[in-house]
Amino acid sequence: MKLEIITPEASLFKGEATSVTLPGLDGVFQVLNNHAPIISSLKSGEVIFELSGNEADAEMSNLLVRSGSKVHASIKGGVAELNNNRLVILAE
Amino acid sequence: MANLKEIRNRIASVGSTMQITSAMKMVSAAKLKRAQDAVTQMRPYAGKLKEILENLSATLDLSENAFSEQREVKNVLVVGITSNRGLCGGFNNNIIKRTGVLIHEDYKNANVHVLSVGKKIRDVYKRTEYNYANERIDNMEDVYADLRFEVVAQLAEEIIQQFNNKSFDKIVLVYNRFINAATQFVETEQFLPIVPTATEGENTGDYLFEPSKIEIVEDLIPKSLKLQLYKAIRDSFAAEHGARMTAMHKATDNANELQKSLKLSYNKARQAAITNEILEIVGGAEALNG
Repeated sequence: MKLEIITPEASLFKGEATSVTLPGLDGVFQVLNNHAPIISSLKSGEVIFELSGNEADAEMSNLLVRSGSKVHASIKGGVAELNNNRLVILAE
Repeated sequence: MANLKEIRNRIASVGSTMQITSAMKMVSAAKLKRAQDAVTQMRPYAGKLKEILENLSATLDLSENAFSEQREVKNVLVVGITSNRGLCGGFNNNIIKRTGVLIHEDYKNANVHVLSVGKKIRDVYKRTEYNYANERIDNMEDVYADLRFEVVAQLAEEIIQQFNNKSFDKIVLVYNRFINAATQFVETEQFLPIVPTATEGENTGDYLFEPSKIEIVEDLIPKSLKLQLYKAIRDSFAAEHGARMTAMHKATDNANELQKSLKLSYNKARQAAITNEILEIVGGAEALNG
């Protein structure tokens, strides 16, 4: 799926990911490819996602921590919207 | 006829003033570029947040939450946003004037307080009965030194809390909106209660909501308020540099003109002195020959 992480100050990530783990308000959950449309509030925690496809196309900020094919982004809260296999995370 | 030396000194002084103003113009131009970039960077976030909120409000009545509660307007908080520094034309004065109008005309029957962001407006209201002091958000002058969303979000949270605990019934932002480098527009924006926006009847899609819709909305509204305040301060910041750039450009032009006219009078005075001298010599020679 296409993943975008944006903050009011900058775009943190734009690219392809196979799975994304999100710190939902009611607990951590994971979305995979072709997940049903969802809007969720996020609390402070870590967004963890697995890169896929041509990583060269992905625009990644150096604020994110990478370990292997997984990328960690700590956020202070936010909201995520997934529709048409496109996940947008508005983070703080 | 003015003294030659005097004019020479003035030419030199105007010249060095011109150097300063043109340097300040260059600095402002560079800062403006960066401030503008920051405004642009905010746009995707703002756009998406608005989209989600609209999506939600299409199926949910947003008017029934704590943030849009209309109360009788008894206590008003005016958030005035100016810069810390001067030399930017009417930029700060326009805000201070508009704030005055809000206090003495628009809300003259209410109890108005002014929350100052930026040194210039703070200096005006610091020692008046209108000053709003709060130890948690004191010294909002520093906000420009390190203009991050986090800092502004804190301020916004404090303001929202003041509204929710009914200390204030209405909160208004006054700031300079950035239009282009030469133009700013003094904007008066209602912050709280929220002005309901007309939403087009868009399809919501079949979203799952996690947690419930209402909880998401209640989570999102403070976010969008924080963003609104952040945007206002960012805009004001960009507008400040634009205003200073224009003011300094004009100052440089004026100095240039002044220098030109001073040079003209200097040359005139010099020529007059030479003519005088020649006349004296010729007169002296004539007297000898005669």
